[in-house]
Amino acid sequence: MSLLRFTAADLVKAPSGRDARRRRADRFMRGIMFVTAAIAVVPLIGLILYIITNGLPFLTSQLIVNSPLDIEPGISNAIIGSLQLTIASIILAAPVGIAGGVYLNEFASPRVSSAGELLIDVMLGTPSIIAGLFAFLVVVPALGFSGYAAIVALSVLMIPIVMRTTQEVIRLVPAGVREASLALGIPVWKTTIFVTCRTAASGLLTGVVLAVSRGLGETAPLLLTAKGTNDTEILNFGSTMNAMPIVIYRYSSSPDSLLIGQAWATALVLLVIALTLNVLVRFRTVNNRVA
Amino acid sequence: MAITKENRFGFGRGIRVDALFRILFGSAVVVAGILLAGVVLSMVVSSLPVWNIQTPLSFVFGDRWAGEVTQPDGSVVGNYGAFAVIWGTVVSALIAILIAAPVGILAAVYLVEFAPRRLAAPLTFLVELMAAIPSVVIGLWAAGDLSIRLRDSVEWWVASTLGRIFPWLAEDPEAPAAQSVFRAGMVLAIMIIPMVVAISREVIRSVPQSLREGFIGMGATRWETIRHVVLPAARVGLTGAVLLALGRAVGETIAVTMVIGNAEGIPSSLFLPGQTIASKIASNYAEASTPTETGALAALGICLFAVTFLLSLAIRLLVRRAARGGGQAS
Amino acid sequence: MAEEKGKKMKRSEANTVGSTNASKTASPAARPAGAAAKASEGSLNLQNLEVFYDKFRAVNNVSLNIEPKKVTALIGPSGCGKSTLLRALNRMHETIPNATVKGTITLDGIDVYGPLVDPVRVRRVIGMVFQKPNPFPTMSIFGNVASGLRLAGASSKGEIAGIVEESLKKAALWNEVKDKLNEPGTSLSGGQQQRLCIARAIAVRPEVILMDEPCSALDPIATLKIEELIRELRTEYTIVIVTHNMQQASRVSDSTAFFSMGEDRGGYLVESGLTPQIFTAPTQQLTEDYVAGRFG
Repeated sequence: MSLLRFTAADLVKAPSGRDARRRRADRFMRGIMFVTAAIAVVPLIGLILYIITNGLPFLTSQLIVNSPLDIEPGISNAIIGSLQLTIASIILAAPVGIAGGVYLNEFASPRVSSAGELLIDVMLGTPSIIAGLFAFLVVVPALGFSGYAAIVALSVLMIPIVMRTTQEVIRLVPAGVREASLALGIPVWKTTIFVTCRTAASGLLTGVVLAVSRGLGETAPLLLTAKGTNDTEILNFGSTMNAMPIVIYRYSSSPDSLLIGQAWATALVLLVIALTLNVLVRFRTVNNRVA
Repeated sequence: MAITKENRFGFGRGIRVDALFRILFGSAVVVAGILLAGVVLSMVVSSLPVWNIQTPLSFVFGDRWAGEVTQPDGSVVGNYGAFAVIWGTVVSALIAILIAAPVGILAAVYLVEFAPRRLAAPLTFLVELMAAIPSVVIGLWAAGDLSIRLRDSVEWWVASTLGRIFPWLAEDPEAPAAQSVFRAGMVLAIMIIPMVVAISREVIRSVPQSLREGFIGMGATRWETIRHVVLPAARVGLTGAVLLALGRAVGETIAVTMVIGNAEGIPSSLFLPGQTIASKIASNYAEASTPTETGALAALGICLFAVTFLLSLAIRLLVRRAARGGGQAS
Repeated sequence: MAEEKGKKMKRSEANTVGSTNASKTASPAARPAGAAAKASEGSLNLQNLEVFYDKFRAVNNVSLNIEPKKVTALIGPSGCGKSTLLRALNRMHETIPNATVKGTITLDGIDVYGPLVDPVRVRRVIGMVFQKPNPFPTMSIFGNVASGLRLAGASSKGEIAGIVEESLKKAALWNEVKDKLNEPGTSLSGGQQQRLCIARAIAVRPEVILMDEPCSALDPIATLKIEELIRELRTEYTIVIVTHNMQQASRVSDSTAFFSMGEDRGGYLVESGLTPQIFTAPTQQLTEDYVAGRFG
């Protein structure tokens, strides 16, 4: 038979022919895979270095404290605007997302539950520009370009994030915890809120933080709704509002070098916030699918 | 309070509160459902004015975005052609996925199978950080730095070799375009690689260790084990990862808008500016003042939503098939 | 990573003799397979073997001779390092990061951890069957058995088909699967899957087959079949089997090595010998207690 049978004596011979090729292929592919892993990471380093070197010189107190209309212009209204819009949206999205996630896991029939899964999947896959377009088509004609429209758009993006994370962390709560509480005669609603949700509290927070992080970074839906403005009014959701991503987008194509610099500096601020929120989340429950 | 038979067994008030509670929480799901339905309906209803003056077929396959045209007989005909932006969307997303799928999957294999623990943890962390960066920040970096680097390296090299043979890879050596479809695809690739890595990592990790051992135990190298056992066992999950990333690439707006150039029409070369559905919506919304102009944007939205919806449906079918067939991690 | 470390292990001076012997017996020219099979028999020798996970010593100073063409059972309470020891024999432990080996293992006088030795080749000579049947889910029954041959470079379809049939017959599975060779390996029952894994291991014609509790996931009838199979296979292969099941060890093995766990939680060899002797007249009290079921 032509097929070589290996014996112990063959072990000490240097690999030849086919075996040598197999060994080379193994080493080669290891190298390739290392390179691909590097490719996945290098852009991040390049990006961070670029944003820091260009943005840091423009990151002054003027940028943060002054409004765009001041003689030494800043982006204070964008920072405040971003905070207002994100907080208002999460106040809407968090209860809906958490309640919906809890319902799908704890109470829904298998059929409703799988329909809910599809709903969340589709919403998670909805491009942010579509969410913006929705608010643009529905809210803007009634209220004009406004904070309200932006809140609607951001909520559409945030709700599925909170809902999915909620579902996943609630699933991790052991059935025994619930049963122990119910066996004490505690009603379902109290068990759900004070036992199940309490147990999963840090996970629920993770979902909220992920959604906030998403909301702070979104640009396209804000362009189509809040539009951006130089006004500095606070808590005026009825009119156009400013936000950091809008500033970055608009200033980046400006011919004024100060404004371009401010775009970099704003990007630096946004980058730091996004990375900080993300690192905070990493130390808790990790959820790749949503992030 | 006297213990009556009723409340001793938890009937009465408690059960009514529970029912109310269920309804309240269930209504949250309904709210989400209504929102999603609203998203779809709003686009369908808003696009109606467009379908009065032209057919969906002429919308999808028309190659010019010329707006309304008044005929000599006084009737108004719509001449919104989305083909160029659909082309731009598909081509930039394809470039992105062709790069991101192999790079992301192999990087995930490296992280799971080869990287020493001390290297794997920080690498994974960095990849996941990349996914958290807002797309406008990536767009700013891409437009200001990466795009120029790509133009002067990869793009220049391809144009001066393959570009001499294929006109769709050609570039004017004297005046290379400031922005291009190809670069948009590259930027998209960078944006979706973390997603491919993260999901692929989970999928590859879920392939049972016993399968790897079985193959290694027969005298296979690590790479052979990955190629013949791990990747085949993970293929359904990996396909899901790629489709999910493709959906993201198709819908990405702001970073693409910042590097693709937003030029009308289908460019003759990948190294010339173009436009995607999302970037078209983002750059045209401000001028939309008539119902048909807004309607045309809504119609673009339907195209985009249809593509992403079909993708997410495909993923669900794949996952269900995997669960039934036990093809993965059984 | 781990593979490099494995090569760097210290070797005890006493056993370098083994390697020099081997270079004398190994004739350089390619010999017909039959002659090679006669020249080497598959006897394993362990000298002062220690296996570490990082700093933890899982196996403590084991010296043991494993007779060729016999069944040797490794028994002992769980956690005594017998599976770890088994995996060190064909260098499978190297797939676990930070696992290292000290001491020597020789196969027919050849140092398995020698500087020139590729672990990939070791596993072709010393095959393995695992605790849980692990047929490759994406391959057919035929493909499972043929996979090792294809790795080794077999390309002739007739030859592969011949060896697959022969291996499946040896594994007492041929009659059950000959009509459905193209169905996935995972479609078989647990016992059949395990016999498929045995067929897969013998298809590459190893000298030694390691079995890591091969019946622990099977029902009694499937277990009986595997045990019959092991008794038949020992005419051709050296078999080392780790088992928890005392009756199984006494039924299938010729020799038995009894391991226990020391105070540092590392496993050590208590005694070894012919199976009847270990089970009826052990020299150590510990062995007697374990065999009688008094602990473990």
